[in-house]
Amino acid sequence: MTNLLALEEAHTAAGFPVLAVMVLLPLVGAAVMALIPRTRPDLHRLVAIITACSAGALTLWVLYQFKTNDAGFQFVVSQTWVSSFDIKFYLGVDGISLFLLVLTGVLFPIALFAAKPDHDEKGYYLWITLLMAGCLGVFCALDLFLFFLFFELTIVPLYFLIGRWGHGRKVYAATKFFLFTMFGSAFMLVSIVTLALLAGAGENGQTSFDLIKIVESGAISQNWGRVLFCGFAIAFMVKTPVFPFHTWLPDAHTEAPTAGSIDLAGVLLKLGTYGFMRYGLYLFPEATVWAAPVMLTLATIGIIYGAIVAAMQRNLKRLVAYSSVSHMGFAILGLFALTTQGLEGSVLVMINHGITTGAMFILLGFLYSRRHTYDIASLKGLQTVAPVFAGLFTIVMFSSIGVPGLNGFVGEFLVLLGTFVSHRWWAVVAATGVILAALYMLWAYQRVFHGEVDDANRDMPDLKLTERLVMVPLILLIVFLGVYPKPVLERIQPSVERLLVHVEAVNRAAGHDFHIATTEDGEHLEPVADEPANDGEPKTDAEPAADAETSGTTQTAPEAGQ
Amino acid sequence: MSRLYTALLAADVAPPRIPTPQIAWRGLLPIVVLLVGGIVLLTIASLTRKRATTRWYAPFTVVVALAAAATTMPLWARVQSWDKLLWIDMPASPRGPFSTAAGAIGIDGFGLFVAVVVCATVVLGALIADDYLRREGLNGPEFYALLLIAASGAVVMAMADDFIVLFLGLETLSIAAYVLAAMHLRRAQSQESGLKYFVLGGFSSAFLLYGIALIYGGTGSTSFIGIKNYFGTSVTAAGASVGGRVPVHGGLILLGLALLLVGLGFKVAAVPFHSWSPDVYDGAPTPSVAFMAGAVKAGAFAAFIRVFVLTFPNYVTDWRPIVIALAVLSMFVGSVLAIVQTNVKRMLAYSSINHAGFILVAVAASSAQGTSAVLFYLAAYAFLVAGSFGVVSLVSGRGDSRIGLSDYRGLSKSNPLLAATLVVFLLAQAGVPFTSGFFAKFYVITAIADAKIYWLGVFAMVTAVIAAVLYLRVIVAMYLTGGAHGDETEPATPRIHVGIAARIALGICVLVTLGMGIFPETVVSLAEHGTPILIEPPAPTPPPAGTGEPSPTTSTTQPSSLQLQPGS
Amino acid sequence: MVSLVWLIPALPLLGFLLLLAVGPRLGEPIAGWLATAMVAGSFVVSVLAFIGLHSQPDHTTTFTLFTWIPAGRFNVDVGFLLDPLSSAMILFITGVGALIHLYSIGYMHGDKKFSKFFLYLNLFVFSMLLLVLGDNLLLTFVGWEGVGTCSYLLISFWFEKPANASAGKKAFVTNRVGDWGFMVGIFITWFTFGTIQYTQFIPVSPGAATTTATIISLMLFIGAVGKSAQIPLYLWLPDAMAGPTPVSALIHAATMVTAGVYVMVRINPMLHAASPWLPTLIAWVGVITALFAATIAMAQTDIKKVLAYSTVSQLGYMFLAVGVGGYWVAIFHMITHAFFKALLFLGAGSVIHGMDDEQDLRRMGGLRKLMPITAATFIVGWLAIAGVPPFSGFWSKDEILTYAFHQNIALYLVGLFTALLTAFYMSRQVFLVFYGKARWNDPAEPSTHEAHSDAEAAAEGAEAGAAAVATAVDAGEHHEIHPHESPWTMWVPLVVLAVFAAIAGFINLPFADSTKYLENWLEPVTGRYGAVVDYSNGTIVALLTISTIVALSGIGVAFLVYRRRKLPAAWFEPPLFLQGWHYDAAVSAFMGGPGRAGFNALSWFDRTIIDGAVNGIGALARDTGSIVRRTQSGLVRTYALAVTIGAVLLMLFVLTRVNW
Repeated sequence: MTNLLALEEAHTAAGFPVLAVMVLLPLVGAAVMALIPRTRPDLHRLVAIITACSAGALTLWVLYQFKTNDAGFQFVVSQTWVSSFDIKFYLGVDGISLFLLVLTGVLFPIALFAAKPDHDEKGYYLWITLLMAGCLGVFCALDLFLFFLFFELTIVPLYFLIGRWGHGRKVYAATKFFLFTMFGSAFMLVSIVTLALLAGAGENGQTSFDLIKIVESGAISQNWGRVLFCGFAIAFMVKTPVFPFHTWLPDAHTEAPTAGSIDLAGVLLKLGTYGFMRYGLYLFPEATVWAAPVMLTLATIGIIYGAIVAAMQRNLKRLVAYSSVSHMGFAILGLFALTTQGLEGSVLVMINHGITTGAMFILLGFLYSRRHTYDIASLKGLQTVAPVFAGLFTIVMFSSIGVPGLNGFVGEFLVLLGTFVSHRWWAVVAATGVILAALYMLWAYQRVFHGEVDDANRDMPDLKLTERLVMVPLILLIVFLGVYPKPVLERIQPSVERLLVHVEAVNRAAGHDFHIATTEDGEHLEPVADEPANDGEPKTDAEPAADAETSGTTQTAPEAGQ
Repeated sequence: MSRLYTALLAADVAPPRIPTPQIAWRGLLPIVVLLVGGIVLLTIASLTRKRATTRWYAPFTVVVALAAAATTMPLWARVQSWDKLLWIDMPASPRGPFSTAAGAIGIDGFGLFVAVVVCATVVLGALIADDYLRREGLNGPEFYALLLIAASGAVVMAMADDFIVLFLGLETLSIAAYVLAAMHLRRAQSQESGLKYFVLGGFSSAFLLYGIALIYGGTGSTSFIGIKNYFGTSVTAAGASVGGRVPVHGGLILLGLALLLVGLGFKVAAVPFHSWSPDVYDGAPTPSVAFMAGAVKAGAFAAFIRVFVLTFPNYVTDWRPIVIALAVLSMFVGSVLAIVQTNVKRMLAYSSINHAGFILVAVAASSAQGTSAVLFYLAAYAFLVAGSFGVVSLVSGRGDSRIGLSDYRGLSKSNPLLAATLVVFLLAQAGVPFTSGFFAKFYVITAIADAKIYWLGVFAMVTAVIAAVLYLRVIVAMYLTGGAHGDETEPATPRIHVGIAARIALGICVLVTLGMGIFPETVVSLAEHGTPILIEPPAPTPPPAGTGEPSPTTSTTQPSSLQLQPGS
Repeated sequence: MVSLVWLIPALPLLGFLLLLAVGPRLGEPIAGWLATAMVAGSFVVSVLAFIGLHSQPDHTTTFTLFTWIPAGRFNVDVGFLLDPLSSAMILFITGVGALIHLYSIGYMHGDKKFSKFFLYLNLFVFSMLLLVLGDNLLLTFVGWEGVGTCSYLLISFWFEKPANASAGKKAFVTNRVGDWGFMVGIFITWFTFGTIQYTQFIPVSPGAATTTATIISLMLFIGAVGKSAQIPLYLWLPDAMAGPTPVSALIHAATMVTAGVYVMVRINPMLHAASPWLPTLIAWVGVITALFAATIAMAQTDIKKVLAYSTVSQLGYMFLAVGVGGYWVAIFHMITHAFFKALLFLGAGSVIHGMDDEQDLRRMGGLRKLMPITAATFIVGWLAIAGVPPFSGFWSKDEILTYAFHQNIALYLVGLFTALLTAFYMSRQVFLVFYGKARWNDPAEPSTHEAHSDAEAAAEGAEAGAAAVATAVDAGEHHEIHPHESPWTMWVPLVVLAVFAAIAGFINLPFADSTKYLENWLEPVTGRYGAVVDYSNGTIVALLTISTIVALSGIGVAFLVYRRRKLPAAWFEPPLFLQGWHYDAAVSAFMGGPGRAGFNALSWFDRTIIDGAVNGIGALARDTGSIVRRTQSGLVRTYALAVTIGAVLLMLFVLTRVNW
């Protein structure tokens, strides 16, 4: 499989190293803010917004420049950092990370516009900017060490954001979050180091943290692969979060300030699923297949469990937090389904969940700024007094429920479809999640927005113009991605299929009769078999997959020996 | 200055006339400078009128320390066989590491590296002490003189190639440290801690000394080279025990090693020999702690490496389990005890125990990787701990009274910059990325993973997470209490005036901490070149076979040849 | 002309977007007219397309707009399939839809959310057309969910009443249960055929393995049961009456609820391939639902609820038709039903409108004189649904019975008996509403339906029978009522619909092939695998006569009971019927009881066990710390002791390693 992943695929972007600039920009912004005295909150806000917006603009530029039919890494930046460990400042983007990058670039500015801190502006903006740097870094790092640095870097800012600008049991929540994630990372660090040593892909058998080199070296034995996979998996499962490791999320969400919640739900949760995709599947294909049943089960449990627990929450933010557990369950499910549809769906779910839940938290932030409560019981009949607010909430809610025509549906459907192809029963069970989703969401909506408005809520003002404007881009995205996801999917597809070919090849090499499930596994019917899934240009989409898989397998046959 | 060096170098080239153990004074220069500096300081201070000179003590100390550090530069250049030091051409020979005083003192990259670290702790200690002593009305030359003398002791430990010399250095360091701990005349705790430290220190030194005796009994030599020759271990660096034989009845040696471990374990405050450190850290004047924590650990761990990794690689299977046990205990006890403390100085004491555990992990790796990791960790830790205690000494106020966790409430409001500085140190100690602390931990993990003891790495990281709670508690106290939501309390701390010296000290610490985190490359390469080597002294007798330590020409490739090849 | 097909859904969508943008500014009545115009426009286009379709090869054409979801081999277009089936559907959807829009202009007069109502209505029509025209299962599913969403929005349109809000939620969630089946159906279809495009997998589906075909059909049938309110998922439909009456007419009678039948007919080759027990199951579910709902309808006191249950019953008939292989008949009845049931609902709406939102049958009567047009049209609808020749209902229902008779005599008998009940309860309604003396100013006697509402309120109010509670509330306050005829915007649609309700049956007369226009038209879709009934005209006439007699006798009994008062009404409306065999209450009780308890248990588990474990670990570390702390006594001797012990242990260890 190595030549499929060869470095030359990762052609460097002409002109200036956009990714490096993109990642470092927020750090510079933070540095600038550090120098501005705290008596100038307005200036801090300005700097933060400028930084976030320009970084966001760069992500959009990347999206614009991205070569659609290229499975390799693009805009690659590689700069030796710590030569003795072969640690590099090594960045690159492929179809999988592209949209997560864009998501980060879009959500952070919006989060800044959506909410203002009520005190200590300096620290607030400084931490948010650092957080952005961390997220951007994670999504384009191609060096394990670098990845880990950014992965960890995201923890501290969020810790402070929750702890200082949160509400309620903020310290408890922040500490819980910090320790939980640190705990996960502890295992990942050891795994990373061990991997680097085992692979010894660097010069004269030294350690190397270069992702692609490590994969090419293929030096990881089956058992090591499984052990190390577990090490990574713990960190990612905590971050995602996957079922038993999820309890930090509701606390963190509930107590976090609006911007914190937006970024946490919108971007940070994706770190886990993205990690699984980039470092789980890519580094340990054999272990992934080995662990798939467990992960699928946990994901399915998470989907249903999260939904049920969400239904019983009395606090809107907690409800959304548990719904996140449910939705991220879909992402994991599609990931370990190991089918084209599943993976594409998984990426799509990440993006959609980011947009939808981000929008949800923005709205809740507006609500809090008016009523100073998230308590469902103390809200009633808001639709009467704030129709616009209610309308926007309804759209976001339907997107979250997964109503077709809005973004939420496409991702979840593809995930379930892809899962069905490879593991049908999990898909069938997980599909019940859509029923529960409708249940908890609509029930909450009814209790908050419907009914006769009572005195407490009678004089709640509707959204201001600025607030509506903040929502506009998200609503547009929600509709657009629901109606026309093609641009996204066709950019994700090549990378996803390359990844799957890699997974299949390695497993074949390891002597498993593993293959990526397709409709071919279904019962064959003559009229269908000879004609492609669809007439016209879609054929071009389907074909590369086909011959890529065959070529992948043939190439790896000889490598099985070495 | 530079001309002087060239002159000295030229002098050295002259061939020896009488076969007496000749002293390459230039090699001892760092020690000499520190020692002489201390004595000079005392003399001047006793001759002059106190008032006039008080304010010059600290600067003088700093200058001396810097000078000492500077003297290491040409040595380093020679050890590494550089052609050029800055703009000065180095002579073609002699080059490479060497030993002097009949092989009692070895000048190699390792020793020099530690020496510089020790000098750094002196500088920081002095700067921090400046404010403190004035505040406490203790300012006299004694403190500074003791700093310098202790430092010289630490450097001796780092360079010692002979157990006697090692013990010499250790005692010099320790006795000075006892006094430093008891420095605060008007504070009972200070006196108490000094006494405790003294009694227990003496107690442990006894173990150490007895261990040395046993080793001598077992090998017939106190010199590391002698021992090495006795075992016939060739390329002895970094645990590659090539041909290292083990005597049939090694009982004496084994017992000796055990007792050495007790003695050194006490110095680095490894569990179960740690119990003194919380009390001492708590009681002793904070600047003393800032210095001790860095310097004593540096010296002691240098000894660890020199004795165990370098001299007894053939006993690695015997001493490694013990070191691992000590490491595990230290990390565990250090972290869990730290989180239940309410006194910041004690907290930091326990956290330093946890750190000691980490460094022991690197020692247990018993490899070039491990040695470099130890060096890196010591360097990072010296600045971290100095910085942390520097802030503590500022906050603690007159009479070191305000050292409770509650005294830090709302520090972010009253002294934002100070609080931010402390946060940097705390996060670094917790091992947050882009700080020296993280890379140090990473280095250690790499070393131990390279030694195939993976579980220890995992355990270390987990304890690091537990220890993180303690740092978070301080941060919470400073930042997360008070604030806009509800409990808007009066900041517990008054506005603190930070003197220029302290500013410099803290500034340095922050810069180094972040610098080593973001651009570790420099220090890493230094640490990698800081390899300990045992070299025959240039004796009249030709060196026996098998111990032909790399001749100057080959010594350039020294570091790479020291990589641990397990099973080779 | 066929190429205009994209306009058909596009126009309502455009209307939706316009109203979204400027609806409130347009206000009443412009917004209403805009919406109506859009739907009328798409009706016109539909007619054109319908005509154009005759020139197409076997009356079928597809039209692809753009690729929607390309994911590897899974590839879905947004494309339309215009064939006899969909063309027939779009005609009555847009036609009836336009009329109901027009009607709504009058009905919603003065409502403060006037424009929003039409916004939703247009969105609904768009979704419905998408459902019918979609050329693949997934696009149909989009419409499927879309109509569900709109129905949710419209049922809870007057969300101030908790009952309405609950009804909306109940409808959506119940539908979702069915949607689960639908989704799984799609998965299997794709997995089996590698495509979900009708034109590609329908033709080959007879070749599918029996089990596969059975499972696919079953899953889609589950979806249909949810959407078309069959046993056991019919619960939401009666509650859905909480919505404004035009909504009930359009969504919950004429169009949306027939979507299930549409899908079943669409995949009829698959049903053919499925093992025989499945069609039988469908048939029995249908006929039992028909009977069951009819009995409930007999006792309802709410004018709209009678119609709601009768809708469920009529849908049962359609599934019966599907089950016995009379696919085109199902469509036939769907069309006629669309006309007369829409008519009846709108008539009822007109009555309610005239009676100032009074919905209780027992507080009406004698309205014939006060609302002549409403009364006349309503009576037409009554005769149609009761199955009195030559009204439309008679023909379609009789065809169903004929097919049932051909398949299985038991099915036929149950269906026939249901026809009797249908005639009875509809007559009851007509007599109570339009004949007899006016009762609306009588004091509200404590009637059974308070008890009813109490029973359900007991069963976790929010979930319980919404409309019942609503009526209970109505019965509470009570003022002078002056019934009056409705404005022309309302009665014009009534008249038009009445005409169709009367004559729609003639699109397919059973006597000669030439008169079987609909059957022939649908032949390309349903002809090949549908059951073939070739009775001689004699048999057909006999069957016709029987059902005529049945219908008339039903009316007769009702006449005796409610006009002549010869028989006590109580015999025919026992509380058991009134409360729908307690099914709804039982389900609500379960949801509110064990169901909720289970949910609570799980969230307790999350709080206490899982999160407890996490906090437990934290506590553990802290406790360990405070225990170990005790060793830190501060006494030198203890410390020295510790050092010594340590030293001893070390030495003991090394001694174990000495080889003596």
